[in-house]
Amino acid sequence: MKKRLLAALLSAAMVVTMFAGCGTPGSKKSDDSSETEGTGKKRVTYTLREDIPSADPQNSNSISSASANIHMLACLTRNVEGEVRGDAAESWEVSDDGLVYTFHLRDGLKWSDGVDVTADDYVYGMQRLMDPAEACDYAFIGYILKNGAAVNNGEVSVEELGVKALDDKTVEITLEHPAVYFESMASMCALGPARRDLVEKYGKEYAADPEKAAYNGPFTMTEWKHGDQLVMTKNPDYWDADSVKLDEICIKTVADAKTAVAMWENGEVDITIVPTEMTEQYADDSEFYFTGADDYIMLNQSEGKLLANKNLRFALNYAINRSEYNTLVNNDVYEPAQRLVLPNVTAADSTYGERYPYEPFPLENDDAKAKEYLAAAMSELGVSNAADIKLELLTTDTEGAKKQAEVLQEQFQKNLGITVEIKQVTYKQRLEMEQTKEYDMVVTGWVPDYSDAYSYLELWISDGQYNHSGYNNPRYDELLEASQFETDAAKRQDMLFEAEQIFLGEDSALVPLQLRRDQYLVNPKLENFNVYFVGYDFNLVYADLAE
Amino acid sequence: MAKYIAKRVLLAIVTLFVLTSVVFVLVRLMPGDPFSSDKMTPEIRANLEAYYGMDKPLPVQYITYMKNVLHGDLGYSMKYEGRTVNQIIAESFPYSADLGIRSLCFALFFGLILGIIAALNRGKKLDFFCILIAIIGTSMPDFIMGSVLQYFFGIKWKILPVAQYTSFKHTILPSIAVGFYTLASVSRLMRSSMLEVVTSDYTKTAKAKGLSDLRITIKHQIRNAITPIITIMGPTVASVLTGTFVIEALFAIPGMGKHYVDSINMNDYTLVLGMTIFYGAFLIIAILVVDILYGIVDPRIRLSGKKR
Repeated sequence: MKKRLLAALLSAAMVVTMFAGCGTPGSKKSDDSSETEGTGKKRVTYTLREDIPSADPQNSNSISSASANIHMLACLTRNVEGEVRGDAAESWEVSDDGLVYTFHLRDGLKWSDGVDVTADDYVYGMQRLMDPAEACDYAFIGYILKNGAAVNNGEVSVEELGVKALDDKTVEITLEHPAVYFESMASMCALGPARRDLVEKYGKEYAADPEKAAYNGPFTMTEWKHGDQLVMTKNPDYWDADSVKLDEICIKTVADAKTAVAMWENGEVDITIVPTEMTEQYADDSEFYFTGADDYIMLNQSEGKLLANKNLRFALNYAINRSEYNTLVNNDVYEPAQRLVLPNVTAADSTYGERYPYEPFPLENDDAKAKEYLAAAMSELGVSNAADIKLELLTTDTEGAKKQAEVLQEQFQKNLGITVEIKQVTYKQRLEMEQTKEYDMVVTGWVPDYSDAYSYLELWISDGQYNHSGYNNPRYDELLEASQFETDAAKRQDMLFEAEQIFLGEDSALVPLQLRRDQYLVNPKLENFNVYFVGYDFNLVYADLAE
Repeated sequence: MAKYIAKRVLLAIVTLFVLTSVVFVLVRLMPGDPFSSDKMTPEIRANLEAYYGMDKPLPVQYITYMKNVLHGDLGYSMKYEGRTVNQIIAESFPYSADLGIRSLCFALFFGLILGIIAALNRGKKLDFFCILIAIIGTSMPDFIMGSVLQYFFGIKWKILPVAQYTSFKHTILPSIAVGFYTLASVSRLMRSSMLEVVTSDYTKTAKAKGLSDLRITIKHQIRNAITPIITIMGPTVASVLTGTFVIEALFAIPGMGKHYVDSINMNDYTLVLGMTIFYGAFLIIAILVVDILYGIVDPRIRLSGKKR
């Protein structure tokens, strides 16, 4: 009996082994990379560290999701490296007060399943974003729409949202306040179209798999092996299909950045990002692009906190050696920041940085000034020994965050003689502690949602949703409020710059650290690939592979 | 035997229930919550909480959750919009299990052979060689093993693919990287248990009967020496088959490993719970199977349970 059982078990084991020797899971379809080789298909492969969390346009709450979506959806407009052009909308008019936008859709637009694209798809997309029952993370994007916040808070029904279909081809959008950047925002997938019938059919699972959605953009999703790869195929029915040269785009999930680089070396992928520790090795083959992310130390200046003392905040800003920090922490891949607003953002026919050059704080530490401010702070605080000033530096529990915090601690302690203690917590806990203001200093940052200085500055309005620093300056609030209703673009930008000067130059309200950049390795044959710093990162819509 | 198995199964179900309940409470004690992000507002958070039923009192949430689990529904992930935990596990587990089976085959086959060779050549050069491999395997972390293999075979010599999991060639390096530690522990265990057996009375008896060395090794020694290996196989199978975070990340394999870590980092309550239940059930079943196997391989264990 037992012999027979043992024999059965052994043979079972052998079968399993044989089985194991054959295919891998999901390999029933032949290996895709070889499939395209030799068939003349132009396929570009891009790596991401983590699969996109969602392909649902209204539920896209990450840059990677948004980047995938700009390839699959035709929003009203399309943003190509900051240049806004009509996409589904052929033309549009803006009312004199800057509040009402009327978009006219092109003729003959089709969804990938053959259904006509109508104005209602866009209206529904925006209603869906704001509908509290849909609970979209990115609903705040739609606060710019008339009644946006009220709809999302459940105060009025979605029908009250300032978006209407005047007829099948005309979308009329009313805003809460004039916004020159709205044309660019209209290219964001959160404000993009959605299919009412498919949302009703699939509910929560809308767009969770290729067959659970329809597409009207340059590409359609044809395969999504979650956590592995997502394939987009050229959409021949896209209105501008002639400008689309690639046949396929493949997004592969490769969690380890070094592995991705090795795959690039072997020609298995076309585009990847170099981890900062390998930067020098690829200095000649790569390009640096700003991601739009701006890192800084947020200072808790609420009443009763040590950092409510303005002189102490100035002392911190003069004690930091930003270029040394940048070298030690990220191998100079990022750029040291001396101000709040990313210089690349649009500002009335120019960029903000060119229009308003500004260096409120030095690149390297200015010990004399730092000591001077510290002395003033100490006399105001009634402290005689600098080491008695104890500040806690809150940060995340990653290796990188630890390094950042240690360099900052060292610089503050050495250059000012104050005591800085590091506290590492999980990312989620850090966010919670920011919100409840249980910190003195925290290394954090911001990613803008549209290319305008306002996107960085709105954070610090005294009752702003994301202002966890306790910063409160009525003049700052007034300027930002006024800028919302200023229709003269140049005057508006002047107001925003004035606000930035108050925020940093007068109040030293935070410590700017770095502007993040990504170092891209790109297949040299790839043309017309571009990377942008707001809303999406990579854009392969008009890219081509040279023969 | 049937009664014994029934008792063990019942115990397993109770264990799983307690595990789920404890983790249900524990995840909510983690700092932070699933919805916090740099751009979260209280209003949007309220919408999200209502959407996931988290605005209800905890006992109500618990009862709803347990009811759904009994129906095999582990709920929607909070991070991966529109995807259920069932889908996530169903998609990622085959990769982890496939890798696990391959690495186990590799580890068992070579581990046993090395252990046996070492024991039969005690104190000789071959023994040292086997011990050396065992030491390397136990002391070298899998991610270093993986990186080294990847560097030489994938990048330097270009014999095998660097990463991904699409064909047999792709599976070789990660299987070795995952299996090497098990290989080392199997060979060490096998060596020491073989040494005990080699000097036992029944080996002497067998020799006295005039059996050949090969026959003694296969029929008498290995059979008796293999029991400790089966003991460690339960937990090993469970942990190897349900995914390894580091190796899967290193070789870009879409397995389950990353979900253990990511779901906790992202406070994705439903995914944490789903992964715990799945892993818990897997481990309990594996141990149960080992207990039963044990009885089959070693009659002494089965007999000791019987009352005479």
